[in-house]
Amino acid sequence: MSEFTFKRRDFLKLVGIGVAGTTTGCASRPAEKLIPYLVAPNDLLPGVPYWYASTCRECSAGCGILVKTREGRAIKVEGNPAHPVNRGGLCGLGHAALQGLYHPDRLKSPMLKVNGQWKAIGWDEAIRTAADRLATAKSGKRGVAVVTGNATGSFEKLAREWAAAAGGTHLVYEAFGHEAVREANRRTFGQAVVPTFDFARAQMVVSFGADFLETFGSPVAQARGFAAMRAQPQAGWFVTVEPRLSPTGARADEWVAVRPGGELALALGMAHVIAKEGLGRGAAGVDLSAWMPEAVEERTDVPAKTIERLARAFASRRPSLAIAGGVAAQSAQAVALAAAVNLLNHMAGNLGETVRLDQALNFDAVAPFRDVQGLIEKMKQGEVDVLVVHGADPAYSIPAWAGFGAALDQVLFKISLSSVMDDTAERCDLVLPETHALESLGDAEPMRGVWSLVQPTMQRVPMFDARPAGDTLIALAKAAGFGAFPDTWDAYLRNEWKARHARFGAGRTFEAFWEDALKQGGVWEEAPAGKPGAAWSGTHAFASPELQGVGEVAVVLFPSHLHDGRGANKPWLQELPDRTTTAVWGSWVEIHPDTAAKIGVAQGDPVRVETAAGSVVAPAYLYQGIRRDTVAIPLGQGHAAYGRYAQGRGVNALALLPPAQDEASGALAYLSARARLSKAAGESALPLAQPNMHQADRGIAQGIAVASLIAMEYTGGKAGRVLEPARGEGERAGSAHPAPLPPGATPEEAAHTPAGLGKEGPRGVNEPVLLETPPSQRRPGLYTEPRQLKPGEVIPPHAITAYEPEEKVRSPRQIPVHEGSYSNPNHHHRWAMAIDINSCNGCQACVVACYAENNIPVVGPEMTKRGRQMAWLRIERYEELLGGGPNDVRFVPMMCQQCTDAPCEIVCPVYATYHNPEGLNAQVYNRCVGTRYCSNNCPYKVRQFNWFDYAAPEKETFAFPEPLNWQLNPDVTVRSKGVMEKCTFCVQRILDGKGNARDENRPLRDGEIQTACAQSCPTEAIVFGDLLDPESKVSKLSHDQRRYWVFNELNTKPGITYLKKLERESELA
Amino acid sequence: MKRASILLVTALALAAGTAAFTQSFSVQLGNPRGPAQPVKFPHDIHAGKLGMDCLYCHYGAEKSAIANLPPVSTCMGCHKIAVTDRPEVQKLAGYYERGEPIPWVEVYRLPDHVKFNHKRHVRAGLTCQTCHGPVQAMNVVVQYPSLKMGWCVSCHRERMNDPGFPASTDCLICHH
Repeated sequence: MSEFTFKRRDFLKLVGIGVAGTTTGCASRPAEKLIPYLVAPNDLLPGVPYWYASTCRECSAGCGILVKTREGRAIKVEGNPAHPVNRGGLCGLGHAALQGLYHPDRLKSPMLKVNGQWKAIGWDEAIRTAADRLATAKSGKRGVAVVTGNATGSFEKLAREWAAAAGGTHLVYEAFGHEAVREANRRTFGQAVVPTFDFARAQMVVSFGADFLETFGSPVAQARGFAAMRAQPQAGWFVTVEPRLSPTGARADEWVAVRPGGELALALGMAHVIAKEGLGRGAAGVDLSAWMPEAVEERTDVPAKTIERLARAFASRRPSLAIAGGVAAQSAQAVALAAAVNLLNHMAGNLGETVRLDQALNFDAVAPFRDVQGLIEKMKQGEVDVLVVHGADPAYSIPAWAGFGAALDQVLFKISLSSVMDDTAERCDLVLPETHALESLGDAEPMRGVWSLVQPTMQRVPMFDARPAGDTLIALAKAAGFGAFPDTWDAYLRNEWKARHARFGAGRTFEAFWEDALKQGGVWEEAPAGKPGAAWSGTHAFASPELQGVGEVAVVLFPSHLHDGRGANKPWLQELPDRTTTAVWGSWVEIHPDTAAKIGVAQGDPVRVETAAGSVVAPAYLYQGIRRDTVAIPLGQGHAAYGRYAQGRGVNALALLPPAQDEASGALAYLSARARLSKAAGESALPLAQPNMHQADRGIAQGIAVASLIAMEYTGGKAGRVLEPARGEGERAGSAHPAPLPPGATPEEAAHTPAGLGKEGPRGVNEPVLLETPPSQRRPGLYTEPRQLKPGEVIPPHAITAYEPEEKVRSPRQIPVHEGSYSNPNHHHRWAMAIDINSCNGCQACVVACYAENNIPVVGPEMTKRGRQMAWLRIERYEELLGGGPNDVRFVPMMCQQCTDAPCEIVCPVYATYHNPEGLNAQVYNRCVGTRYCSNNCPYKVRQFNWFDYAAPEKETFAFPEPLNWQLNPDVTVRSKGVMEKCTFCVQRILDGKGNARDENRPLRDGEIQTACAQSCPTEAIVFGDLLDPESKVSKLSHDQRRYWVFNELNTKPGITYLKKLERESELA
Repeated sequence: MKRASILLVTALALAAGTAAFTQSFSVQLGNPRGPAQPVKFPHDIHAGKLGMDCLYCHYGAEKSAIANLPPVSTCMGCHKIAVTDRPEVQKLAGYYERGEPIPWVEVYRLPDHVKFNHKRHVRAGLTCQTCHGPVQAMNVVVQYPSLKMGWCVSCHRERMNDPGFPASTDCLICHH
C-alpha cells in the first residue's frame, strides 16, 4: 500500500513553511552595538595592523618571526627577514603557533587533581599547594626534579638556578636532542656541538639519513642554503643514503637504498676508497682496512662500484658535505655513524668550509637520553618528591620500555607548567598553565652569537588564566621560601640582558638598548669572517648496529611534520598532507608494494606491525620509495591526551621500540627493531589528499637536463642574472635526452643496483626496476615548444600553442584583457607569479601560511577522503624516478593560475568569477550561487566548494571553535556554505600595498607586495610581482629559459610561470 | 490530482518564502529614523555650532580602514570642565567613572561581504559629508545614503577617470 496521499496535516505543514519563510525573511537584523575604547591605547588604531618582532618557540631552531596583530590580536606569523637564523622564511610548525595561542583546549585556570578528578582552582591556592609540597621536599631527604625543554637563554638559567635552590636537579629533555652528533664531534674534533652547514658552497652533499629539510638542526636555514646550492646547474649534486626515501631524500639526485643500519659501513667504505686512492687527506689514524668496498657491499647491499664512484665524486667535488644525525637513522651505533661521517668530511677537507663547528646550534644543555633514564631510575627508587615539567611531554615522547610512566607513579607530587593538558600534564597532580610564547616575554639563544628576544604580541587571551612559567617558578620559590630571585620574570630577564647591553649597547641607556633589541627581535654578532677548521682529535671504534628481534622487516620510525608530537594538537598541521604520502589526520605504515602483496595488503588496509616490544595497527601506504625489507611509521600521533585534535588519533609508534640505545652518547635508538607484518582486521581507511603521484603525461612538473641548459647557454636562475631567453633554441637542442643515470655511473652499474628494490636476483636483491621514464623527460619541451606541423596535420583550435611560436601566442597575456568596461587607463599591473620547482622542497610552509592568511577552514579526514579539502594552495608530489639509483621526485605548488583566458570565467552564469583588469581571476563570494560549473571547467582543480557551513558556530562542521576564530583575518571574508572559493593572490595584501604606495605618493616597489605563500617560502621558490614591470623579479624569472606553463596546450595563458627542475643525470660522468 | 495540488502548494510556499527573503535585502538596509543612543550626542552642536573637525573624534578615518568611534576619554577631555551640569553630560561622566564604554547603537549598516576603507576615501579628498550627509545639521544621526551597491558604484563610475584619484569599478576592490 504505497498510494500517495495528501493529508490535511501535510497541507498545513507546507503552508507553515511558507509562512515561516515569509516572516523570517522580513525580520530585521538586530541592531549591533558599537563599543568604543574607554581610554584608547597609545598608538593603536582599529583597522591598522601592527607588527611585533619575536622568536618562534615551536622548536629548538629559534627562527625570528614578525607577528601581525589587528585590534590587539595576533593573526599571522611570518619569518623575520632580518633575523640571522631564518632570513624571512618560516616552516609550517611556526605558522601554526597561532593555533597554540588560540587553542580551544587551553587550560582556563590552574588544575588540581583531587581523587583522580581534575578540579579548577585559583592561582593563590595552586601556588600554596605546590609551595607546601616543595618546602616539604626540600627539607626532606627526597628531592625535587625539574625537566624543561630546550628553552635556551634566560629561562634555562632560571630553571637551573631554581632547581639548585630547591635542592633538586635540573634536566633539559628534548626528544630530538642530536646527542649522537654532539658526542661524535666531541670525540673527533673535541667540540660537543651541533654544527651549521654552508650548503650554498657545497658542490656535492651526501646525507646519511639526516632529514635536514625536516627536523634535523635548523630546518629553515638549511632549506635556504640547500636551495641556493641547487640553483647552480653545474654544482649541488645531492645523494641520499637511507632505507626509506624521506621528504629530504626526495630532493636527491640519487637514492642509495642502503640496508637499514648500513649507513655507517657505507660511509667507512667511501673513506676507505678515498684513503686507498689518496684522493684526500689521510684517514687520521683510523684503521679502515676492514671496510673494503666489497666487504661493505655485503653489509649494505650497495654495489662496490657505487661506493667507489661516490667516494671519488665526494673527494673531488670540493667542498663537499656529508651529514648524519637524523632521527630515522639513529641506531645503537649513532655516534659511530656520525663519527664516520666526520671522518669523510675531514678527509675531504670540509671542516671550516661547509661544516661550521664555530657557528654551532644551541643544543648544549640538552641532556642525553641516558640522563633521562637516570632520572627515571631515581623516580622509581622514590628519590623524587616533586617533579616539575615544562616545555616537554616526556610521558608521550619517551618509549614505554624506559618506564617513565611507571616511574611517574612513584613521584609524590607532579607539577606541569603546560598550557594544555598534554600526555604528561594528564598524569600530573597540578597543572599551572603557562602563557603562550606569543603573549609572553622571554628570550632564546638558538645558535652561537644570536640572542633572540620573545616579546608579547598581545595581551593575554583573557579566557585563559595563565601566567608566564618564569613568574610561576619565582612565585613558587618565594612561597616555599628558597632562592633569591627578582620579584618578577620580567626583572630577571632584564637583569640577564645587562650583559648583552654591556656588549651591544654602546652609547645607549639600557632602556634604549632594550627597546631597540625588542624592535629588531634580538641582538646578534656578525657572522665571523674566518673559516676556522677543526683538527681531528680522536677516533672512534666502529661497529655496525644490529637490529633486535625477529621478523622479515626492519622498522624505521621517522619524525613527521608534527615534529616529536608537539604539532599534533594544531588542526592546520593535522590537515596538512604528509610530504611523502599526502596522508592526513592519522598514522600509516609505509610498505613496499611487493612486501604488501606478500601479506595480502592493499593500499589503506590495516597492517599489524609487531616487534618484541609491542605492536601497532595502522593503514598501509604502498610506497615505491622504501626497501622491501623495511617498513616506516611516522612519529607524532597517538596521544593519550593533548586536546580534541590530537587525542586518540593514529598510533604512537614508539611502542614498537625494544630497549636499545647508543652506548657512546646515551641516545635513544629509534632504528633498533625488526618486526613481523600481518594483515589486521578492519576496514581500509587512509585519507590521502593526493592519491595518485603520476603525472600521466600531463607535464605538470617538468624537468630539464643540465646538459640541455648548458647547450642553451643558460644564464638565469637564482644565483645569476637573467638574460633574454634563447626562445627555446636550447631546449630543442637538448631533445636527445639521455636515459638518467647516477653520477658517473656506467649502464652496467646502473643495471646492478642492489637496493633491495629490484626484481629478486641471486642474493635476493638485484636488478633495479626503474619506473617508466617519464614522458616529460623523453620529450623535453613537449609542452612548451612550438613544433613543425606534420604533413596533413590539422591544428586543433584549442591547442595553438603547440604549433605557433610562443611569443606570438603569449604576448597578449601581458596586456590586461577585457577592455570595454575596464578601459580605465589607471590600471598598471598584471599580477603574476614565478614558481621554481627546482627550489621547492615540498615543505608546505606556504600551505599553512595560506590557511592563516585566508581563513581557510579545516575539514577533517572524512572530507579529505572525498576530495573536499579547502586548501587554496596544495603541494603536488610527482614521483618520476623512484626505486633506488637515480631519483627524481618533484614538488609543485599548485594554486589558482590566474589564467588570462580562464575556463572558469566563461561558464559562470552569474558573473561571480570574472577577470579583473590587473589580471586576477576574481571570485565574488556574495554573487556566487554555487553552481560549481567553474570548478568543473577548471583544468587545474584549484577551486574549492563550501559543502558545509564551516563558519557557522552551531554546526558540527564548525572549523573555528572559540577562540580559534580570534585568529581569523578581518580583511578576508569568511565564506559560507554553497560558495566557491579559491586563491586570490592575497588580493587584500595587494590592495594594502597599493594603498601604502599611494599614501607615500610613489609607484609600487618590486617585492613590496608579497602573497602569504611567497613570503613564507624558506627557499624563495615562489616569487610574486608585476609582469608589466620589466624590471621586476617575476618578469625576469618569467623569461628564464627554464620556464614552462602547466597545461599550456589548453591556451589558458596562466599568470603563474613555473621553472623546470634541473636534472643532473650526467653531471659527474 | 492530489499530487498536482501538493506541487502547487509547495511551489506557492516556496515562492512566497523566496520573495520575502529577497525583499529582506532591499528593505532592511539602513534605518531612516536614526536609533536612540545611550547618550544623546548632538552632532549639530559639536560639528555644526562649535565647528569641530570630524577627525578630532573620528581620527581613524584618515589613517585606517575603520573610522573609529572616539574613546570615552576623548569626550571627557572637554567634558571634565565643559557643561558638566547637563544631564546627558553627566550620563557620559557616569559611564567614564564606572569604567564602562558607551554601548553606541550602530547607525550605518554596511551590507555583508563588503569591505570599505575610510582612509582611501578621505585621502582621495572626499569630504565626510559626501557620504554621511550634513551631519553638522543632524541632531540625531541617520544613515544618510542607502549604502546599496548602486549608490557606491554610481560615484565610482563618475570618478573613474579622475586624474588624481581614479575610482575603480573592479568588484574585487570591495568584495574579497
